[in-house]
Amino acid sequence: MAVVLLPSLLAAEAGGRNRFELHAATVGDALQALPVANLVFDERGRLRTLVNVYVDGVDARDRDGLDTPLAGSEEIRLVAAIAGG
Amino acid sequence: MGVLVLVGTRKGLFLLDGIDDRRDWKLAGPYLTGWSIFHAVLDPRDGTIHAATNNEVYGATVHRSTDRGESWTRADELGLPKDTGLTLEKTWHVEPGREGEDGRLWLGAAPGVLFRTDDGGSTWQAVDGIVKHETRDRWNPGAGGMCCHSIALDPDERERMYVGISAAGVFRSEDSGETFVPANKGTAADFLPEPFPELGQCVHKVLVHPARPERLWQQNHCGVYRSDDRGETWERLEENGLPSGFGFPLALDHRDPDVAFVIPEDSSENRVTPNGRLGVYRTRDRGASWELLTDGLPQRAWASVMREGFGSDRLEPPGIYFGTQSGSLFVSPDAGETWLEAAGQLPPILSVEAAEWR
Repeated sequence: MAVVLLPSLLAAEAGGRNRFELHAATVGDALQALPVANLVFDERGRLRTLVNVYVDGVDARDRDGLDTPLAGSEEIRLVAAIAGG
Repeated sequence: MGVLVLVGTRKGLFLLDGIDDRRDWKLAGPYLTGWSIFHAVLDPRDGTIHAATNNEVYGATVHRSTDRGESWTRADELGLPKDTGLTLEKTWHVEPGREGEDGRLWLGAAPGVLFRTDDGGSTWQAVDGIVKHETRDRWNPGAGGMCCHSIALDPDERERMYVGISAAGVFRSEDSGETFVPANKGTAADFLPEPFPELGQCVHKVLVHPARPERLWQQNHCGVYRSDDRGETWERLEENGLPSGFGFPLALDHRDPDVAFVIPEDSSENRVTPNGRLGVYRTRDRGASWELLTDGLPQRAWASVMREGFGSDRLEPPGIYFGTQSGSLFVSPDAGETWLEAAGQLPPILSVEAAEWR
């Protein structure tokens, strides 16, 4: 199972959980299965531009993005880009 | 009877419980940390708090709480249909439906869109009457984006409602939001080639008077206005005592439709209270004259109050409430005669609403 780790605000929105273990074929599928999927994606299903996704420490953009396949033991970490004030 | 004041800030929601005579306040919060609270309101039908919440990273949504902020539920479905070509940018204002309209609330949002829920805030449907309005290509965003910030329901005529959108103008519906017509006759748009266009006005806030619903008050980018015919025509009012027609917030006295309160700013180019002082201006004669109310307010201040940052309760006499971008929440327990600072050093205040409780 892949593990998804959430930053604090998303964890608060997920009922206080910051770690989810999921069966999913791709990174996108794993994120869509989260209870905070509508914060991670916009209404078109696009990953929000200031949400970064790391798969085993590598930016998912440097792999196949949301289509990156999962073998089942990856650690997916969501990180909010530095923004706001 | 007490009052709960909901104070939305850039850094979460604060609640103030008014005890005794609205001169002593107990501060709680912040709730919804990490979210900017553009507006929060207590639904008088069931006591649920609804908040229009925005985050730079995670977008725009609406939260609700049935336990005075201790726990929150986020909307399940909120977005714009693909065929509109629009995507949700910000949520701005939540307006509970009328008594008897169980589960119904309205949500104003950017880019100039309106939503309705009939299940208490879980799922929101875009309202085509605004989202697909035939004049949309003539609307333009103001400095805060193209925000639908005012939603005013006629308390007597259940089919009638109004919305205010910057910079599109005021729109009225006579069929519960199915269709809307522009209602801007007599309101200026000094920034457009045509000074009094059908639409395109930069309305800043619109309110319906609860005791005389054909009367509307409006604070606009270009003046303060009153309409006595449901928005068919508007009369400009800022002569005779107001230092400026520019401002954002507006508050009313529930007892008297001739009374209104505004907090002007110097000008569009200089958005702070005029003459280095913080004052609330009140009319008691339908806008024919205005008086400055300052008793208890700081005598030197360069403040700004956002469009949602002004509210009133329905007690006798009504309490008037406003919050500044500098993080102060001021209260008048006597309809504006005297003021006190109920809370200070809060984050920048974006919205203020007052709700009575027993």
